[in-house]
Amino acid sequence: MNEERYILFDQYLQGELTVDERSNLEKQLTEDPELASAFESFKEMHFQLDNKFGMETEREAFEENLNRISDKYFQKKKTKVVSLKPWYFAAVASVAIMFGLFFFDYKHYPNFEDYNHPESAYFTERGVSEETLKKAEDNFNGKRYEKAVPLFEAILKENNSEEIKYFYGVSLLQVGKYVKAETIFKELEAGNSVYKEKAKWNLALSKLKQGKYKECQEILQTISQDFEDYDDVEQLLEELN
Amino acid sequence: MDQNKIHPDQKYIEGLAANDSVIIEMIYKKYAPKVVLFITNNSGDKDQAQDVIQEIMILLFNQAKANKLQLTCPFDAYFFLLCKRRWLNELKKSSNKGVTIYENVVSSNESAHDLVAQTEEFDEKQQLFDTMFQKLGEKCQEVLKLSFTLKSMEEVAEKLNVTYGYVRKKKSLCVGQLTQWIQEAKNFKSLKNN
Repeated sequence: MNEERYILFDQYLQGELTVDERSNLEKQLTEDPELASAFESFKEMHFQLDNKFGMETEREAFEENLNRISDKYFQKKKTKVVSLKPWYFAAVASVAIMFGLFFFDYKHYPNFEDYNHPESAYFTERGVSEETLKKAEDNFNGKRYEKAVPLFEAILKENNSEEIKYFYGVSLLQVGKYVKAETIFKELEAGNSVYKEKAKWNLALSKLKQGKYKECQEILQTISQDFEDYDDVEQLLEELN
Repeated sequence: MDQNKIHPDQKYIEGLAANDSVIIEMIYKKYAPKVVLFITNNSGDKDQAQDVIQEIMILLFNQAKANKLQLTCPFDAYFFLLCKRRWLNELKKSSNKGVTIYENVVSSNESAHDLVAQTEEFDEKQQLFDTMFQKLGEKCQEVLKLSFTLKSMEEVAEKLNVTYGYVRKKKSLCVGQLTQWIQEAKNFKSLKNN
């Protein structure tokens, strides 16, 4: 092993060489590709070592946190058992009765807009004219659904992907074309793509928007607990009850 | 395409580097379902999906910490592609038979492919380094570990109860040994590729 060389490299990186020694090494590096390549590798090893040991505590903290979040995410379906003390139960019941008296014969229905949060689209499809795709994406994300609908229709003629279909369906729902929208969502529901559960959710939203609360409730009950926005499903079900 | 344009999803990368629980949870909630579905549709189960996602998250943390990760495409495409490729590698390792892939997601993105290639290169370098480091003698490992954890070489010398000159020289030579092995590995790789 070329010991002198590595000692020199280290002194250079630590800033311990005299001006002359420094410029001498720099000159050699420009002239000798083999030396330059070794120097690059030497620096790379410094970087790796710094990376490995310099942030060991931070990495451990991250891994610990990650483990916790990951376990929570993958075993989230444990049902909570809450035991109610009798006096607590009585208190809750009496409050409920009071509310019942206040709002007797008054049924509050949930509002479509409270649950209507379409996500943004980022299309990365191939084999489709990029310009149309971009326009559709912009109009969709800018909530100009009237404009997005015909663009999606054009794209679907070339590329019948589940992703485009999904966003087409959402646009139709926004502009109130329920029959067409529901046909699209039912197709997606029958498939096995990532849009399966989302399609059910949108189908339920479509029923909600039309005031068909009973149908909405029935659809909600079929949505898997793995659905990413299951919190919303639970909340809407609660409001419908 | 403009390679320098940073995508707004860079917030996820920064959140990972900062160990921000809200961001990490959001990544799981938003992006894990797609990965889980892909893996369970392709001869894997939920536990394996959990492992793949965790490995990729740690890789992203390391790369983000090294300030070597600038997102030029949506996080969704990048993350999914990384997890997918990691899983396909796992499958290849465990079976010699050809693997049929079922997928509904046809997402593909030039920028995402480039970025995935960079991340995989980062991963490869890190793994190669780890293998080399394990090959070092015990003394070398100890000196290097302390040199890069403690603030000064004087502290290292004190801790090891040796002279400053000795640790300085030892450190240079141990890094030198790693350098030599890495260079040999690189030469071998370029021979193989030619």
